[in-house]
Amino acid sequence: MVNLFRPRKTSPRLERLRNLSLFVNLTAAELQIVDGLLHERDYLAGEVIFDEGEEGQAIYIVASGEVLISRQEQVDAGRAAQAEANGSAAIHPRRRQWDTGRLAQLGPGTFFGELALLDNTPRSAQARAASACQLIVFFRDDFVGLLDTHARIASKISRELARHLGARMRDLAPAAGAHQHL
Amino acid sequence: MHHAAPANHTVDESQHGSGPIVWAAIIATTCLLLFFFQKILWLVVPFLLALILYYFLYPSMQALIYRGMSREAAASIVTLGFLGLLSVIGVGLAPWVTSHIAGWQDIVIGYVQGGLQLLDSSLRALEATWGPLARAHLADTVAGRLTQGAGSVTDHLEPIVVGIMAWAPSLMLAPFLAFFFLRDGRRFQRFLGGAVPNAFFEKTLYLLNEIDRTSRAYFQGLIKLTVLDTLTLAAGLWLLGIPGPFALGLICAVLAWIPYVGSIIGGLLVVLVAATDFPDAPAMAYWAVARFGRVRLLDDFVYMPLTIGKSLALHPLVTVLMIFVGGAVAGVSGLMLVLPVLGVVMVIGETIGVIVTDPRLMARHRHALALRREQASADL
Repeated sequence: MVNLFRPRKTSPRLERLRNLSLFVNLTAAELQIVDGLLHERDYLAGEVIFDEGEEGQAIYIVASGEVLISRQEQVDAGRAAQAEANGSAAIHPRRRQWDTGRLAQLGPGTFFGELALLDNTPRSAQARAASACQLIVFFRDDFVGLLDTHARIASKISRELARHLGARMRDLAPAAGAHQHL
Repeated sequence: MHHAAPANHTVDESQHGSGPIVWAAIIATTCLLLFFFQKILWLVVPFLLALILYYFLYPSMQALIYRGMSREAAASIVTLGFLGLLSVIGVGLAPWVTSHIAGWQDIVIGYVQGGLQLLDSSLRALEATWGPLARAHLADTVAGRLTQGAGSVTDHLEPIVVGIMAWAPSLMLAPFLAFFFLRDGRRFQRFLGGAVPNAFFEKTLYLLNEIDRTSRAYFQGLIKLTVLDTLTLAAGLWLLGIPGPFALGLICAVLAWIPYVGSIIGGLLVVLVAATDFPDAPAMAYWAVARFGRVRLLDDFVYMPLTIGKSLALHPLVTVLMIFVGGAVAGVSGLMLVLPVLGVVMVIGETIGVIVTDPRLMARHRHALALRREQASADL
């Protein structure tokens, strides 16, 4: 009976999970609980994982392969206004031009779509498999359930998430500052 | 490979709300399932009990897993613990049951005779008031027909006892099923999720979680309803001075899990108890019936839409109408099963409706299929 509560040997699968930055602080028992909530999906190169503007339900963690994050950017308002003034066909709202802006290419161990864990706002960018890849999916409802049932695990994940978002804000801050000076 | 620049694909729920076709399909599927389920009640009833048991035992299993136990061991221990508790209660109650079992038949016969006496005295009171009824010898006619058609109480007790004995093995399935729900529920959910194409994955996962949420809310609603019914009825019966108001209230509340029919049986029970325990005060039985009727109306038209109906996010009118439809399609089993079945079918139907009417999701699925075909035939 006592043996039942002894820390279990970690399986290669749990070891792989532990190496992911989001779960780095979880113990073996905690990882096992989280493991029960995760899903694995395989994508081929070029396959869309989610679209910009889609309602986000889950966070994706790259287990293998690479993922391209891109954002559609509306053409510069000035260009549109100019085209409108010229009476070109491009000014028609239905035929408005869109550019695809590449934001990042993510490799194994990284994660994306993390804001979906916090709320159900639309995705801010499109994610597409840059190569054949395997992704681990963590669903928001499962995370919310974890907050209720295993607050300690959820707080550890939340802390890593907050760290990640903080680092991203720090990365963006100089760019925003530079932009202000331009 | 060329990737067309996608348009903005914000999910606009107003565009994908369930239309009349989806709702017609939901109601038709619910009726069809109810019709099918009444044929396999021996499986459906233990399945429902197993689900209740699953939601009851799940937190304990999670606590054990959190302490480092494997899911398999935790599921086994929690189920065995529950069975052990049942055994302890059974052993504890055994002396009391064996000492009373001999008298049970007399008690039941006593209550039934009390009810018959109440009916007889009520009819004679009516005859005394209205001449035409006296001339028709209503009380004698009814008493004669009851004796002729109904036979003795013991004749009816036997099939009930045999019925319970026949259902017992099937009910034993409940803890067995609950164990596998606990142990393999997640695996099954993953298995189902794995069969879904990538394009629909998030939406489908959302669906599975919604079904889980709906089931949980339904059974929690049922427990809330039982508590509310028990307390309201017990308070009413206690005010009238009827013995054992809480036990009677609880039995009636559990019977009320079967809408309408359960209420009628519960009402009869209250009348029998009131008529037998107060043989010289028939007014007491009438008051008890009136109070019971008020609680049932409150339950069927207020509590049930507010607890179970609300948990399923159903309009109160739809809840009440669907209970009638369920009864018409599949009788007592239909009354009992209609709301949980409707809740699950509603979530599945609405989600399928959202997926198939979303052109972008369908386009992504076709694109993924083309990529897979291309990969499969790359070196041919």
